[in-house]
Amino acid sequence: MTSDGNGAAEAPAEAPESFEGTIWPDVDRALSGISARPERGAIDVIVHIPREELIRGLRVLRQDEALDFDYLRCLTAVDNEDEGMDVVYHLYSIGKNHNLTVKATLPSDDLTLDTATVVWRAANWLERETAEMFGIRFNNHPDPRTLLMPEDMDDTFPLRKTHPLAEIEVLQGEGMGYTEEDL
Amino acid sequence: MTSELFGADLNPWVDAIVRLLMWVGFMTVVAMGLIYLERKVLARFMARIGPQKTGPMGLLQSVADALKLIGKEDLRPRNADPWTFELGPYLVFIPIFMSFLAIPLVFDWHIRLFELGLLYFVAISSINLVGWVMAGWGSDNRYAMLGALRAVAQGISYELPLVLSLVAVAIFNQTLNLEEMILFQGQTPNILWQPLAFMIFFVAALAEMNRPPFDIPVGESEVVGGPFVEYSGIRWSMFFLGEYTALFIMALLASVVFLGGWAWPLGEELGRWWQVILMTVKTSAFIFLVFWVRASMPRLRIDQLMAFSWKVLLPLTFAQVLVNGLVLAYEWDYWVSRVALGVAGLAGIVLLYAIIDRSVRRPRPRPAPVAQSEAVTA
Amino acid sequence: MVVRPEIEREFETQDLLLNVGPQHPSTHGVFRMVMEIDGELVKDVVPYIGYLHRGAEKLCETMDYRQGIGFMDRTEYLAAFNAELSYVMAVEELAGLEVPDRAQWLRMILCEMNRIASHLMFMGAFGIDVGVFGTPFIYAWREREAIFDLFEEVSGDRMMYAYFRPGGLAWEVPVNFTERVREVLKAVNQGIKDFDGLLTENEVFIARTRGVGAISAADAIDFGMSGPSLRASGVPLDIRRTEPYLKYAEVDFDVVVGQNGDVYDRYLCRLQELRESVRIVEQCLEKLPDGPIMPEKMPRMLRTPPGEVYIRTEAPRGEYGIYLVSEGGNRPYRLKVRSACLSNLQALKHMSVGQYVADAIIVLGSIDIVLSEVDR
Repeated sequence: MTSDGNGAAEAPAEAPESFEGTIWPDVDRALSGISARPERGAIDVIVHIPREELIRGLRVLRQDEALDFDYLRCLTAVDNEDEGMDVVYHLYSIGKNHNLTVKATLPSDDLTLDTATVVWRAANWLERETAEMFGIRFNNHPDPRTLLMPEDMDDTFPLRKTHPLAEIEVLQGEGMGYTEEDL
Repeated sequence: MTSELFGADLNPWVDAIVRLLMWVGFMTVVAMGLIYLERKVLARFMARIGPQKTGPMGLLQSVADALKLIGKEDLRPRNADPWTFELGPYLVFIPIFMSFLAIPLVFDWHIRLFELGLLYFVAISSINLVGWVMAGWGSDNRYAMLGALRAVAQGISYELPLVLSLVAVAIFNQTLNLEEMILFQGQTPNILWQPLAFMIFFVAALAEMNRPPFDIPVGESEVVGGPFVEYSGIRWSMFFLGEYTALFIMALLASVVFLGGWAWPLGEELGRWWQVILMTVKTSAFIFLVFWVRASMPRLRIDQLMAFSWKVLLPLTFAQVLVNGLVLAYEWDYWVSRVALGVAGLAGIVLLYAIIDRSVRRPRPRPAPVAQSEAVTA
Repeated sequence: MVVRPEIEREFETQDLLLNVGPQHPSTHGVFRMVMEIDGELVKDVVPYIGYLHRGAEKLCETMDYRQGIGFMDRTEYLAAFNAELSYVMAVEELAGLEVPDRAQWLRMILCEMNRIASHLMFMGAFGIDVGVFGTPFIYAWREREAIFDLFEEVSGDRMMYAYFRPGGLAWEVPVNFTERVREVLKAVNQGIKDFDGLLTENEVFIARTRGVGAISAADAIDFGMSGPSLRASGVPLDIRRTEPYLKYAEVDFDVVVGQNGDVYDRYLCRLQELRESVRIVEQCLEKLPDGPIMPEKMPRMLRTPPGEVYIRTEAPRGEYGIYLVSEGGNRPYRLKVRSACLSNLQALKHMSVGQYVADAIIVLGSIDIVLSEVDR
């Protein structure tokens, strides 16, 4: 929908490699020394950062004066099955009014990542939710309990693509009164 | 030895039981009527209609409620302390009924006319706090405990302004006998010459009865009913009955002490039924005021409540007592002393208002809309 | 003497843990917080959420785009139009649909009306939290009823509208729509006045709310708060203004900000926003054009090319975001609902520790949470 104004991050659709008129040049400058890869999203620029450098990169993005990403809009993950999981950060700068999406890809066999709560306190609950829904472990998280799920549910990750939807799930207790045949 | 009731000679014990039953029956009916009235009045304040389906104009709603409450199971939580839990409601209920003893309804209609009636009233009316604590402690519920502690803190704090405002009037009237007080107000009611005392009495009475804005012990959005959160059925309805009986008694006391009772403005010689109407009007006015406050006032916080009592009301009542003593000590003319007292009282009310206003309206920034140019624009 | 340590040990005190919720009159749904209290002072608050988690995000992955609209209604039932709007805008953005002007203006009217209804709900519930017996609640209900009647005429339902469609609207509004909206606005104006008179200048109300639960602008931003709860702290972040969607760039309205970020400012901001919403709707009614409400060429089965989009709109409680990932096909690959209440609720502990128990309750009320949006 083109009639939506979407801030400075938006630019008329051009060749996919061109980042003119976007926030990328600034981000590129700020993230020097970090191997970041840009991509054009529908509205915002997407920056891929390797997970080892992610927190450093996020901190730079927040502290850089020209960028000033002081607001964490959203933090979530996308399960890409064989290609691992993307952890997605949607950043916004209240003073500068521009947006950025940051992505880090985790391999399926090692779903750990450092916590972003050291950068924004807003990440606290969002990370807890992401952790319990996808089974991603956020290192050094200050409060690593479950958020929406029962406290003892630490082996079921509902938002993974492998998680079935239509079957009766045994979430807690001794089969919740169902026998093996019922299931 | 016999005593006479309705022209029949009765054994004093039978007589006592009959009177007691009449008494409890009357008070129950009054409380049920008040509950109905409160629901109707509050409904009008809230742009609703209120009960209307049960009986004509919903008049039987309270009866239906009472029947339901009596029929309900009387539950006791497993961990509750049996004795305190079961006895708590009685200790709330009985002192309130006892405090009714001393109040003269109309000329010569009273249970017992005490020479020190006012003293008896203030002495007996604060016993029910024990019942609140027993209910709160015995319920083994943290909300109940919190509520009970709040009730005690509040009850004790507001007992003082309540009693001292009555003392001020007693000094002015030079009697503690409630009937003599009424006769004293034959021409002008006490409220004219003791407006500050009346204000303080009203506020403290609201707090004593746990009515909004002082319903902190029972505040449903915080402690979910406070001490009676665990009660059900008949025991719960005893608290309820106690609350409305207390309201009725406070209203009676206010009309006796401040509004001239059954005498002013029609004089003492009028027929008994005129006096009944007069008392009804005065009592209803007071009760309506209480309902009105309930419909429009938020609840205070516990520290504000305590501060208001100890820092504002108590010094003002002391001042009122002192002023009364001073004015009367010099034995000025009838009118001079009265006008002086009235002026002093009004000055006190102005001071009270100024204190409240100042504490509420210290420089208060208001959120102003940001003009379009100032806001962050795209 | 040696008894002294004995006595000290005997009188060792312990703070009381008070479990508020999940069933408590003032938790606005099934929310639970465990308060550690010392007398009446709150020393710690641990919120527990998730009682209403229905997995709307997962469910949407199995439904096609149009079926997902219903789920969005149910995530944010007090402002369902706003929730739908985010979702359909995300789908439109991915599918490249052009929404006709009339549909955009109508969406704007409905969303602002819904904002009014939602804020009225806040006013009523907040009045009860503060302790007025029920008067504000019924006052709020009166005008809210009028708005819901209007919505029922438009969409056929009072709360779960499912009226917006990717591309436009489900059907045309009733013929007398404009007059009905004006009628309702008149009632709402009166309702705002009533509220102003009942609460704003009430001494007890001011004493209870001013300076309570204050949060600074920097903290509020750091916690990711949004909506009136953030603006009350003095941050003029309103997505309708900063990143205008629909036709918000073409109407004249003010962004209401507070100064102290306390409970009173949050109340006042919402009260003032009611007036601004009325202004916006009035302008929309004047500018409402005729024309189609759906694009000419709508595919029978809506499919989106692969891609992802994060759409944010200003819902009554703050930023309602939809993160939609598509791998092609007619259903989302991943849908994430960015809930404003979830982020606002994070700051609850920060705002209520050190206050009285009664204050913690009204701080919770002033965030104006909808638990179905928090838990989704």
